[in-house]
Amino acid sequence: MYSYIIRRLVFGALTVVGVSIIVFMVLRILPGDPLVAIFGPEGFTKLSEAERARYMAELGLSDPLVMQYLAWVGDIARGNFGRSFFRAESVGEMILRRGPLTAEIAILSVILSWLVGIPVAIVSALRPNSLGDNVSRFLSILFLAIPGFWLGMLIVLAALFLFGYRAPLTGPSLLTDPWGNLQVVIGPAVVLGLGQAAYIARMARSSLLEVIREDYVRTARAKGLSRRPVITFHALPNALLPVVTLSGVLLGFVLAGSIPVERAFGTPGLGYAMFTAVSERDVFVMQNLVFLYSVVFVLLNILVDLTIAWLDPRIRYR
Amino acid sequence: MTATEPEAAYPISQAGRAAERSRLRRVRGGLGTFIRRSPLSAFWGCIAAAIIVMAIAAPALVPYEPLKSDFRAMTKPPSERHYFGTDQIGRDVLSRVIYGSRASLTVALGAVLFGTTLGALWGLASGYFGGRFDITSQRVIEFLQSFPDLILAMAIAMALGTGFGTVIVAIAITRIPFGGRVIRAVVLSLKEMSFVEAARGLGASHLRIMARHILPQCVAPYLILATTHLGVAIIIEAALGFLGVGIPPPTPTWGNMLADSLNAGLVPPWWLVLFPGLAITITVLAFNLLGDGIRDILDPRLRGVVTTQR
Repeated sequence: MYSYIIRRLVFGALTVVGVSIIVFMVLRILPGDPLVAIFGPEGFTKLSEAERARYMAELGLSDPLVMQYLAWVGDIARGNFGRSFFRAESVGEMILRRGPLTAEIAILSVILSWLVGIPVAIVSALRPNSLGDNVSRFLSILFLAIPGFWLGMLIVLAALFLFGYRAPLTGPSLLTDPWGNLQVVIGPAVVLGLGQAAYIARMARSSLLEVIREDYVRTARAKGLSRRPVITFHALPNALLPVVTLSGVLLGFVLAGSIPVERAFGTPGLGYAMFTAVSERDVFVMQNLVFLYSVVFVLLNILVDLTIAWLDPRIRYR
Repeated sequence: MTATEPEAAYPISQAGRAAERSRLRRVRGGLGTFIRRSPLSAFWGCIAAAIIVMAIAAPALVPYEPLKSDFRAMTKPPSERHYFGTDQIGRDVLSRVIYGSRASLTVALGAVLFGTTLGALWGLASGYFGGRFDITSQRVIEFLQSFPDLILAMAIAMALGTGFGTVIVAIAITRIPFGGRVIRAVVLSLKEMSFVEAARGLGASHLRIMARHILPQCVAPYLILATTHLGVAIIIEAALGFLGVGIPPPTPTWGNMLADSLNAGLVPPWWLVLFPGLAITITVLAFNLLGDGIRDILDPRLRGVVTTQR
């Protein structure tokens, strides 16, 4: 087990380095002058040659690329996420202020996806091709096709028209005002949760159907156990292993999905900050946020892999 | 996108007339099987085809110019004159939704054509040659997959500046690792089969083995993957438009329309929200179900492989 953990962590570290290189390449090296991105094409042409050089030097953009890369990585390693061009607040402070809200949304949505997806899958797998199975399969395919942010906009509109209700626009902390916090968080969490639940229900159904056909399940039935305990205690634990992995992959879906979904709900989380950074063409904030998101994604997937290894000896001892 | 395509996609050699006829029969038979075995998928395949026709014939179908404002009818709810209503500067929503299909489908098709295909070819080569090339490729693909796809697409689209080509490139890059992974897995199992060994024994070159013996076997998983990716690409394109890094505004796209609706006042009028989103949902649903159907027909064994890879 320990060697597995160490191997996984080394690979994880390697991935983080690779990710940082890709982020740097995409946002710094790709065609397109960062000054154009900051000032806009028109603003850029108004700058004089000397001003351009001064800004470039100020931002450290005239150094060799390798130096720029090392400087950026060094800053991040020291916990310095830089600051936006347009705001006084540093990016680090912004992450601390807005991050918890998005993290709450993500956690809540994962819980919701399991609460919805697994029971649906069980109902489906118990009677394949029954009416219930077909309905739940169609619903899961439907929810794969519905863009989360659109569902979010519809929910906001429906709440407004039907109940005259609008979620508060500020995001109070979970500790000081749990009720206000819940109102802000619940909408995005439901939307993202349903989106994941669709994937989970599909996966859990097919995996459950496969496991049910295995010998040990038949043995359990043959020795006289009734259907229900066999499903819940014998089949389900094994069937859920691939679902745990899928849930890890879906975290990417949540992290990315939270950006348009938070915009749709007007949730003041990190996803909304990412949207603002994109619409203001704030390259440096964007660079750090993209890096942060992918590192979180990588770390969570290591966690998922370790969980799987803990649950499944077949992987641990490979 | 009709059901005949999977068959037609096999490379046609200089076969004799008999072979040609049997192929024709297979195509027709394939279509028949498709309709019989999964009528639902066939139905949604027709819807997908209808959407493609709608995109091509958009100029003939629209009741109004999608970009022309009518200042006497601004933010009007659906009525007899404007079935889907008008937006805040008096543009007809129905016309814009119809034109939006052009942007969505072009981007999705382009992204799949470049991204999924490039990934598939990469996976083919890396699976076939193995060794150091394979290990390096796997690492690069892993790095690319460490980004949630929308975030990577956003970063690329932002770095390159907005535009049609950029959006296609941005989405295509997010599709590469999926194509690579799936096809590599298929190739790894094919490589060990005796017909490949036989070809190698006869002295066929690597290129020939890949092109004539392995590639045709990869067509089915590729098609399944490609149809699924069409749906994913459409959703990513809409999200990019919604976030303002998609195709720039005057062009009507479904994502842009949804983003616009948020600027239409404190509360977005419902018809500006409902119809573009409905268009996205129906289109993606059609492609997904078509993909499911193609998968069931072509290779039921692939059930797990492709769906988990989105």
